[in-house]
Amino acid sequence: MSWVTWRLYRAQAVIAAALLAAFAVLIVVTGVQVASQWHSALAACTTAHSCGSLPNTLFLGSHAVGFLVIMTLGVPAVLGILLGAPLLAHEFETGTNLYAWMQSVTRRRWLLVKIGWLVLAAAAIGGIVSALVTWWSGPNNALQGNAFNPGRFDIMGIVPAGYAVFAVALGIAAGALLRRTLPAIAVTLAGFIAARVVVFFWLRAHFMTAVTSYFPVGGGAPTGVGWQLAAGYVGANGQPIGIPLSTNGAVLGNGSGVGLPVTSLPASCGQLAGNGQMTPAIYHAVVSCAQAHGIRGYVTYQPASRYWAFQGIETGIFVLLAAALLAVTFAVVSRRDA
Amino acid sequence: MTWVVWRQYRMAGAIALALLAALAAVIIVDGVQIAARWHSVLVTCAGSSACLEQQPTLVNGVVSDLPYLCLIVPAVLGMLWGAPLVAHELEARTSDFAWTQSVTRTRWLTAEAGWLLLAAAVCGGAVAALTTWWSGPINAMTGGAFAPGQFDTQGIVPIGYAVFAMALGIAAGTVFRRTLPAIAVVLGGFIGMRLVISNFLRPHYLPAVTTYYHLTSSFTPPGQAWVFAQGAVSSTGTTVAAGWGDLYPALQPACQRLLPSVAGQGKSDSLSAVFSCMQAHGWRGFATYQPAYRYWPFQGIETGIYVLLAAALVAATFVIIRRRDA
Amino acid sequence: MSAAIETHDLSKRYRRVSALTGCTVTVPEGRVCALIGPNGAGKTTLLRLLAGLAQPSGGSVAVLGGPPRQDPAFLADIGFLAQEIPLYRRFTAADHIQIGAHMNPRWDASLVRTRLTELRIPLDQRVGTLSGGQRAQVALALTLAKRPRLLLLDEPVAALDPLARRNFLATLTAAVADAEGSLTVVLSSHLVTDLERVCDHAILLAGSQVQLSGDIDTMLAEHKVLVGPRKDTGPIERAHTVVQAVTTPRQSTLLIRLGGPVIDPAYQAEDVTFEELVLAYMGAGEASASRHLTTVGEGS
Repeated sequence: MSWVTWRLYRAQAVIAAALLAAFAVLIVVTGVQVASQWHSALAACTTAHSCGSLPNTLFLGSHAVGFLVIMTLGVPAVLGILLGAPLLAHEFETGTNLYAWMQSVTRRRWLLVKIGWLVLAAAAIGGIVSALVTWWSGPNNALQGNAFNPGRFDIMGIVPAGYAVFAVALGIAAGALLRRTLPAIAVTLAGFIAARVVVFFWLRAHFMTAVTSYFPVGGGAPTGVGWQLAAGYVGANGQPIGIPLSTNGAVLGNGSGVGLPVTSLPASCGQLAGNGQMTPAIYHAVVSCAQAHGIRGYVTYQPASRYWAFQGIETGIFVLLAAALLAVTFAVVSRRDA
Repeated sequence: MTWVVWRQYRMAGAIALALLAALAAVIIVDGVQIAARWHSVLVTCAGSSACLEQQPTLVNGVVSDLPYLCLIVPAVLGMLWGAPLVAHELEARTSDFAWTQSVTRTRWLTAEAGWLLLAAAVCGGAVAALTTWWSGPINAMTGGAFAPGQFDTQGIVPIGYAVFAMALGIAAGTVFRRTLPAIAVVLGGFIGMRLVISNFLRPHYLPAVTTYYHLTSSFTPPGQAWVFAQGAVSSTGTTVAAGWGDLYPALQPACQRLLPSVAGQGKSDSLSAVFSCMQAHGWRGFATYQPAYRYWPFQGIETGIYVLLAAALVAATFVIIRRRDA
Repeated sequence: MSAAIETHDLSKRYRRVSALTGCTVTVPEGRVCALIGPNGAGKTTLLRLLAGLAQPSGGSVAVLGGPPRQDPAFLADIGFLAQEIPLYRRFTAADHIQIGAHMNPRWDASLVRTRLTELRIPLDQRVGTLSGGQRAQVALALTLAKRPRLLLLDEPVAALDPLARRNFLATLTAAVADAEGSLTVVLSSHLVTDLERVCDHAILLAGSQVQLSGDIDTMLAEHKVLVGPRKDTGPIERAHTVVQAVTTPRQSTLLIRLGGPVIDPAYQAEDVTFEELVLAYMGAGEASASRHLTTVGEGS
């Protein structure tokens, strides 16, 4: 049965291997360039003492390849609709499943072998693409420190393999239930996007309780911030200070990415600022006044140290979903009339 | 023949309409909130450019990426409706029925492909209208309507993409005679074409404009321009991009001394002394960009390219379907 | 009477395989022509060439006075029923009737409805859920509703039970009779006895070539079975064409195409049945082009 599966999917396997190889060559060649670009930029900025501004000024690699890397977000979906959805649906549509089942192959065995190899292939493809992307993005991650951010988190580490397995399982299940390839493809696409959106927007931030750290006004933000979820300022009573969407005046500090407008301070501190230029002396006075009032900045975040824990949790979620879908597939195909 | 097409695509049309309506609802609700926020920003800032430059967050984190997800709509149209048009008929052999009624294959294809392409244009147009309206405040704030990413989701180009993807699907289905390979070709072909055209062709539709200015003053290309590069260029032609990360090695020693020695203070205003020195040594500021007034010409050119590609594909489909055995 | 179908040296190649070679036949109008041959002989290929669904690789084909072409008037005049019963599985028979009405200038919807009702086939059930035989009846009814001048039917009765087959062939015969000479039918099949009842013209295909074609009565008159003692068949072979020869140690049975009167008194001449004729030519075609001799039970 394994040989039969191979024979049926030989063409797809060859095409997938060719595409993977081409992608790998591109990534490796450009990745070497990116790495050397990074090293020389590091050396240059160290001499010039301008490394602090490097994240804002340096763009590593080419825009085209960078875009391609972002687009690997779609690889699991493509696997799901091109390989997963037709796996069973096409057999049902053309009736070739009857051919196999009237040989000496039980439905269970037929399913086990076909699904097993495809899920394995999906995990492998997802894993290889993700490994290449993770390696290529190494310098960018070091530069920007944003590997934990939504969007980048999804294309590196082990989650892409989990997405691929899920997408393929979803396609297989859709094909088994709907028995027609086109509707299975549509359902797989919609279901995959929906599942990813739900986890991405609503669940991931809560895998573990976020950490809230406080820092003095005008000072630097806490270190070890992996994924910043929220930032702001609290008063002495612990209540957050409302910050308008935009201000037409001076702003204190920006360590967390959110500045504290002088207009949001208590009147006594605001008076110190006056209406003129904000000289360093006045700045210090206002900051001290704010601190005296017990105003602190806060950042709510997931620490960088939790990166792999989150990768594991998210991968686990999608693998569990995949397992459930495959269990349903087995039950349905084994029981239903052919 | 129109009735036949309707009968075949009745269900698909209803589903597409429902999805469009859902998308519209989400985008409109979100867009209204964004517009309200932008309005309050305008009121607060009261014209101060420094205030506006803060670029506060207008978007809802959750929904803000949805309009960019619409970038896949053309590909979905091409895969789910374009690819099976001819391929499914051939696979199921219903072509033996359809092409031996009293309707020539040309007439059959004209009706089927014609309505599908029209539907693609309408879908593309509807989505484009929604995302253009939704992006209004963001465009006003960031001035980035011309930038890659924004350009692709607004205006009229989504119509071109949709029509192209549909035509590609129909052509692929006719050439390969099987739905799955056609779907794969649509995916690869559409993504490939979009990448090639937006990255390699679009910057060159018209020759870019380069403006030189005094380093000590500042210059921003007006309106929604598409800035390719900005920075300083020396009399010998050495360029340093704005952001000034690699400024140090390019400078003459006299100016290097003026660079701030503390990391993290590379902001433009504290570099004014450096700029004066550079200007004295023959440096000029430069900006290479596509001016804002070229936005609609570029939209038209790109849409035209995709429509021409679609026309070529459709023509090829007609030729193949007439010549080939059924 | 003009010819409904005229082919001259018609051939069709698919890559390296020759599906049809050197096919030269004429089918006059108003005939019911049987297209007989073993599997893979080229029957479907020929029918698709006649319908314009395939292009010839060589030779010429004229259908109803001109080559098969993309012309609404021509398409309206022919009715084609493929072997796979091509219907839209998710549509009902009623849907197909409506589709036909929109795609044909001449359309007899009531014919379909009456016929299907007589056969007790539901009009509002998805065609994909009907049995194979019922689907075949629906497809045939839809083809007849076009009121074509030429019907091309590829194994139309293959999926039908014996009663349904008889019914189908009766309908066909009645339709031809009603048309009073303006309807020509070409149908392919394996079931020779059925065909003999219904058809008056035949094309025998084997090995991608036409072995024999023409009016059935004429064919039968032109062939005889000679039974006689086993002896030298040389004179017979010179005077007539031996299609098939079976020899036992004592007896020879020769199926010949008459080249003149049979003079040799040693042989008894019998009429040949259509089935014998077909089988002989099928066997002859599958072997090499030279004369085919079967020796049965030959001793040392």
